[in-house]
Amino acid sequence: MSRTAFKAAIDDHVLAELRAIIGDDARVRPDRSSRAFRSRVPAPFPVHRWAEHFPDVVILPRTAVEVSEVVKLANRHGIPIVPRAGGTGLSDGAVPLRGGIMIDCKLMNQIHEIDLVDRTVTVGPGINMLKLNEELKKYGVIYPDDPASYPCSLVGGRIGTGGWSLLGARFGHTRDLVISMEVVLPTGEIVEIAEGGGRKLRKSSTGLTLKQLFTGHQGTLGITTQATLELVPRPETEFAAFFAFDDYMKAYATTGILTKSGLATLAGVVLFDEKKIEYLRRDDEAYIPQPESVRAVVAVAMYGRRCEVEPASKEIMRLGRSNDGKYLGDEISAGDWASRHDRYATPLHGRDLDGQAVLMSWHCEDAALNYSVLPQVREEWHAIVARYRERYGIFDDWGMFAYTSGSHKPWADYLVEIDVGIWEQKLNDENWAAWVSCKREIAQVSLKYGGSITACHGATREGDAELVPEEMGSAWPVVKAIKRALDPNNIMNPGKQSLDEAYE
Amino acid sequence: MGEKELEFAERWRDNAYGCFSSGHKFCREVCPVMQVTRNENHTPTAFHASIVAMEKGLVEVEDVADDFVHCTQCGACELRCPNTLFTGDFYRHRTRTVDVVKAMRALMVETGNEREGWKLWNERLALDHNEPVLGDVRVSQEHVADWADGLDIPVGGETILFVDCEAAFYRTSYTRAFAQLLQRAGVEFGLMREQWCCGGPAAEMGYQDLALKHATHNVQDWRAVGAKRIIAPDPHDFIAFTEDYPKYFPDDYEFEIVLGVELIHDLVQAGKIELTNPVERTVTYHDPCRLNKRKGVHKAPRELIRAIPGITFHDVDRVTQWSYCSGGGGGLPIEKPEITAEISRRRVARAAELEVDTLISACPWSERPLSNAGHEANIGVMDLFELLAISAGIEP
Amino acid sequence: MSIFRLGDQTPPEPRRITDTVIERLEHQFEVDPDLMQITPQQDMPVWDSRRIFNARWDHLDWMHAHFADEVLLAGELSETMPEDHS
Ligand SMILES: Cc1cc2nc3c(=O)[nH]c(=O)nc-3n(C[C@H](O)[C@H](O)[C@H](O)COP(=O)(O)OP(=O)(O)OC[C@H]3O[C@@H](n4cnc5c(N)ncnc54)[C@H](O)[C@@H]3O)c2cc1C
Ligand code: SF4
Repeated sequence: MSRTAFKAAIDDHVLAELRAIIGDDARVRPDRSSRAFRSRVPAPFPVHRWAEHFPDVVILPRTAVEVSEVVKLANRHGIPIVPRAGGTGLSDGAVPLRGGIMIDCKLMNQIHEIDLVDRTVTVGPGINMLKLNEELKKYGVIYPDDPASYPCSLVGGRIGTGGWSLLGARFGHTRDLVISMEVVLPTGEIVEIAEGGGRKLRKSSTGLTLKQLFTGHQGTLGITTQATLELVPRPETEFAAFFAFDDYMKAYATTGILTKSGLATLAGVVLFDEKKIEYLRRDDEAYIPQPESVRAVVAVAMYGRRCEVEPASKEIMRLGRSNDGKYLGDEISAGDWASRHDRYATPLHGRDLDGQAVLMSWHCEDAALNYSVLPQVREEWHAIVARYRERYGIFDDWGMFAYTSGSHKPWADYLVEIDVGIWEQKLNDENWAAWVSCKREIAQVSLKYGGSITACHGATREGDAELVPEEMGSAWPVVKAIKRALDPNNIMNPGKQSLDEAYE
Repeated sequence: MGEKELEFAERWRDNAYGCFSSGHKFCREVCPVMQVTRNENHTPTAFHASIVAMEKGLVEVEDVADDFVHCTQCGACELRCPNTLFTGDFYRHRTRTVDVVKAMRALMVETGNEREGWKLWNERLALDHNEPVLGDVRVSQEHVADWADGLDIPVGGETILFVDCEAAFYRTSYTRAFAQLLQRAGVEFGLMREQWCCGGPAAEMGYQDLALKHATHNVQDWRAVGAKRIIAPDPHDFIAFTEDYPKYFPDDYEFEIVLGVELIHDLVQAGKIELTNPVERTVTYHDPCRLNKRKGVHKAPRELIRAIPGITFHDVDRVTQWSYCSGGGGGLPIEKPEITAEISRRRVARAAELEVDTLISACPWSERPLSNAGHEANIGVMDLFELLAISAGIEP
Repeated sequence: MSIFRLGDQTPPEPRRITDTVIERLEHQFEVDPDLMQITPQQDMPVWDSRRIFNARWDHLDWMHAHFADEVLLAGELSETMPEDHS
């Protein structure tokens, strides 16, 4: 029999079992509002088909045992489970496709242990990094996972997506910063997942390295209920510098020069293209008065001890200017770096075909690409979005960024982002289908150039999910075998990433 | 879906879509209620989404009524929202979560979904014209100025001191200290003939007609005594007078509104109040939400604390405090006292980490829950005016 | 001390900065209201515009301090802008 998970009606009997497990009716929520408000994430959403994404019941667990019992129940009855942390994911990972039980882990936000000797902090998946770091500050340490969603995403979701950090070049990304975790498997067992054994060990060769498998699976292989994370010394000094260019290719070349500089305190290099500058000129006080000749920008940031950062900063200034770069000044360098979390999803930056400001939702493409292909991909992506904008009038090209993406190795890998505004209020079946095919075309370009559809958000949305088997290629049977072995009844976040194929 | 719901959705949909099309939840972790309940229903994101959902016929008022109780109207979320903080001024289009919460609560009243505790509270307000801040003991106009016994404050004049219900009947030490500081500086001021509640809390709980009735009365009373400027020591009143009243009387609102703490700050700077008595305390300051987040007032209180001789001040910056609150606002303590208590408990615990003996606030509504929490944690809670009065050598 | 007077809360006449941007309050850019025909602007008193503007800068300072003890900058002016702007 083919085992594709199904939309299960949660009957009174199942609800009674859930209430018995949780023992607190306020944390078992089958009511309309609890379900309605957990059925979407910030990514463009088919609002005209909202109700199709309601979970049937929401559970707010406090402990791994509660999670485990709920998962066992779901596994017994074949009910889908969807884990949800911050609900900030940009590819619908936490959006139910077939109803079921949503496990919302925000109440699991405790700091269980701070170990300043072996340099770890152990937390629940519901904690936010900014909040965690407010607590850690007094110990002179920091957990440096810094996505643009730093103020709002949660550790569980960072693990679920295998997130990317703005400071990854210096400190690594989520998967490098999670040392070990406690996971509830799709069959309900609670297991410790690390490199080998050893909850606080960063490197081991025993057995199989399972940790990576349980990072970035989008809740399809289990639910993280506790995580032991890296503590790094709190940086003494931050340095940021922004350089302007009159031409994209000069900025591109400078990005290459900077990332190959070998400076160890380099935390990130960001390349903004002309469309992105145009977008920033819509409101950003730093860019509005800039002359026309500012057509591309390269931003650099460093963190570390002053004795390292200060001399390195001189070298950054030299390299940044080495190919016609012009320094944008201290005020912009400081201010724009500090606003790195806030300037992405600005709905009023949407412009219709007449240039009127309209509230648009933000799509963030996040392909992983090598340095060599950035200019070609840029051209093709913009052309795709221009075509759809012209035809449908409800899309807007918000420009492109390329960010350093290799952990501790900034030279060759980039998270390449094209931001697209989508006028959600105009969505109907036809426009939504247009959006999905636009999305798919964008992703196909990434594959054509030897890239990956996604560096961090995950290939869980329509337009991406269908391409997962193609991208995984010869490894796809391995993926399917693992999924089937761990989740025999396909209950964990079913319907995502084409993983239903594992049961065909 | 009733007509009222649709009208409401129509009125707020544009603002709601500002959030719905972002949905990024930068607001979540600064929300004092969310920090306690961690229930996504209580996020601003959900509040705005409910308008869109209502328009689409997916939820009705009764589905979300309890959710909308979970808000102190501290304003943290709407300030932290990038659509306010980064582009609100640019587009003249900011996130208005507090307004939405008030409007939804009004709709709850209109559609028979009001909350029992708020209903009783406002019935008593309608009866006595001041809030029932003394519990079973009734408040009355007869006693509204008892706090001023022996201070010889006249009635009427160009400058009127408006005293909040909580401060008139409950935290009277605050009010006395403030009035005596003004007297020390030689400021001439009077009281109203009949001082009704400002109406702000009623509006916050959704009782708009009642709020308007009280506002109308107060404005008439001000005019009747020839008032030109109104001093509002309580931040809640300051909000009512600078945000609600201008909406009630857009063409006809000639009064100058002065915030108490800024006035005292000026008087101290001008040397009209001398702070000579040392206060040997180690303190931290609680930024009242309605000053810091909703009005951007944070410098004057800090400078006043620093002007007190002998004091040791462990400050926490205003931005960190966007996520702090006492839980005392927006009617929350009436409906969800356990959440208010927990918010205050956490606030006081943060003060305790700084190894202070005193938490200074500047808002009487915060001081009741904070004092309760302070009592358990062995931290004193004082109002800034009370502390300044001590330093100025004023006998209570 | 800021004294609230309703009459003071209407922003002054704008000055044009670019095709799509104006300025009413010092250093504070605003969208050209002509672009806001589909998404109407709100009635925003001067105090509120200022509050947001000030909070933004406080927030940016906070974000620096959150990640490191000190901010080091090149200490140089903008090479793209005339001096009065940088
Ligand atoms: C403004 C903005 C900027 C962003 N910038 C970045 C960025 O720079 N880098 C980046 O990586 N992302 C970014 N994102 C995307 C998003 O924040 C990340 O994907 C983040 O990791 C999601 O975390 P969350 O807590 O919101 O998870 P959710 O959205 O709730 O969940 C994400 C996925 O993880 C799964 N999941 C949740 N909890 C668990 C758990 N306990 N165990 C197992 N699986 C779980 C979910 O099922 C889902 O598939 C941004 C988003 C926004 C809105
Ligand atoms: S209120 Fe603002 S920060 Fe919160 S989700 Fe909505 S748009 Fe985002």
